[in-house]
Amino acid sequence: MTAALVSITLRALLNRRRTLLLALLGVLVIGIVGLYLLSDPTPEQALEVTRTLLSDLALGVLLPLVAVIVGTAAIGSELDDGTIVYLLARPVPRWRIVIVKLLVAWVVVTILVAPATLVAGLIGQDDPALAIAFALSAVIGALEYAAIFVALSLITSRALIIGLAYVVVWEGVVAGLFAGTRVISVRQHALAVVEAIGGGDAAGIAEVALEVAIAAVVIITVGATILAVRRLETVELRGETA
Amino acid sequence: MSSVLRLAAASRWYGNVVAVNDVTFDVGAGITGLLGPNGAGKTTLLHMMAGFLRPSAGTVQLDETPTWRHPELYRRVGFVPEREAVYNFLTGTQFVTAAARLQNLDDPAGAADRAIGLVDLRDVAGRAVGGYSKGMRQRVKVAAALVHDPSVLILDEPFNGMDPRQRLHMMALLREMAGEGRTILFSSHILEEVERLSDRVLVVVAGRLAASGDFRRIRRLMTDRPHSFTLRSSDDRLLARELLATHEVDAVDLHDGILTVSTRDYGALTRNVGPAAQRAGVSLLELRPADESLESVFSYLVRR
Repeated sequence: MTAALVSITLRALLNRRRTLLLALLGVLVIGIVGLYLLSDPTPEQALEVTRTLLSDLALGVLLPLVAVIVGTAAIGSELDDGTIVYLLARPVPRWRIVIVKLLVAWVVVTILVAPATLVAGLIGQDDPALAIAFALSAVIGALEYAAIFVALSLITSRALIIGLAYVVVWEGVVAGLFAGTRVISVRQHALAVVEAIGGGDAAGIAEVALEVAIAAVVIITVGATILAVRRLETVELRGETA
Repeated sequence: MSSVLRLAAASRWYGNVVAVNDVTFDVGAGITGLLGPNGAGKTTLLHMMAGFLRPSAGTVQLDETPTWRHPELYRRVGFVPEREAVYNFLTGTQFVTAAARLQNLDDPAGAADRAIGLVDLRDVAGRAVGGYSKGMRQRVKVAAALVHDPSVLILDEPFNGMDPRQRLHMMALLREMAGEGRTILFSSHILEEVERLSDRVLVVVAGRLAASGDFRRIRRLMTDRPHSFTLRSSDDRLLARELLATHEVDAVDLHDGILTVSTRDYGALTRNVGPAAQRAGVSLLELRPADESLESVFSYLVRR
């Protein structure tokens, strides 16, 4: 039962050309770091710029962009085209559908973001611990974002647009302007992980304490998942002619 | 094996729009046809019975269990949606096997192969569903709905897109399954499909149950109704006078150059209009049924 759910979700996501195009975005991040290195910076300059690129570009743009597209498509695309009926007309507990879809979306986002982040970190500066910390933070951020966007796709049929607006407005602008809102910024949660495991080179990168970030990740991920299960349990299929 | 779907005063509305209005009926073993024009509420009814829509009022139950929010009922229910969308990236075999796996069957591959054989799709089962014709898609959807050998089968417009041979095959399959004691409910807006297949018919018009029961009785109501024809001829006035003299014509109306004739005997009129034109010495250019749309048949039933 679970294997069939995983297989259908994975193939639906990987079949999408846009998902494959997203892989190129990761390559683009690596390319930008590589281009900067052509300017022959000092090690200190390279560290500073790589830190900024990974924080603002990898965690600030690549991760949420990939997550919103993959996360909203994991269930949302089946709701849009009506194929969800082939899952809902089966004696499969709805929580299992949500959990499987969320985990598959998490893995796909992680594969599209974490390796590119790791490579960009490794070539951009000399400290492997910092590169690994950014890659791991992307894994955690991917889970939190995936849970948010899977839930969003079950709340609204315009999940992609609303998700993009959330990424730009909340993560990009509001969390940058108002310190109080950073407690519920996924990017800040990820940066807290970078600072915790990235060694001395990561010092001062986060604006949220690790304990607060972990608590927020758990609450948001679990809360969004419960909300998604509740929504799927009561989702109604009207058919074309209703 | 046999199960009973029961609607009791079931209604469903979307905002101010009433899609299904206070409908009560039982569907038991055998084949029941749900007949109605497009937009009558057939899909809403079927989706309520299949547990995909919550009734706004009343109850919808399968063997005393509400269908809404009881996914365990899908062990006994197979559902074929009207929407064409399937997982285009899967082959027919993969699609039906996935359905078998989601049903938690012991031998998903064997069950899928059996279901694909039932709908006569083995030749193309290895091809991606995305490349299937409409008829093949319908059949692979039916195979997925049959894979767990359900006691209740709900099909929304199952014959859409099928060619005549495929229709006959599907009808024979459904008859065979009904003969095994299964409860089969299918919707259609085509009178002849329902007539050929159903033991019992439910006629839905504008969200209400307009008629239910034995098809022959309903068919008689339909054929006994007044029919209208429009005619064109070389001299409509002369033809009108001649037709009024025949006993099968109830009334004629010549208005704005269009001759309309009403009759209660559809067959007699079509047989006699030619000789009548000959007697009047006019050339009959056109004879067209004026009210043969299904909607007009249904609205007549509602008025009864």
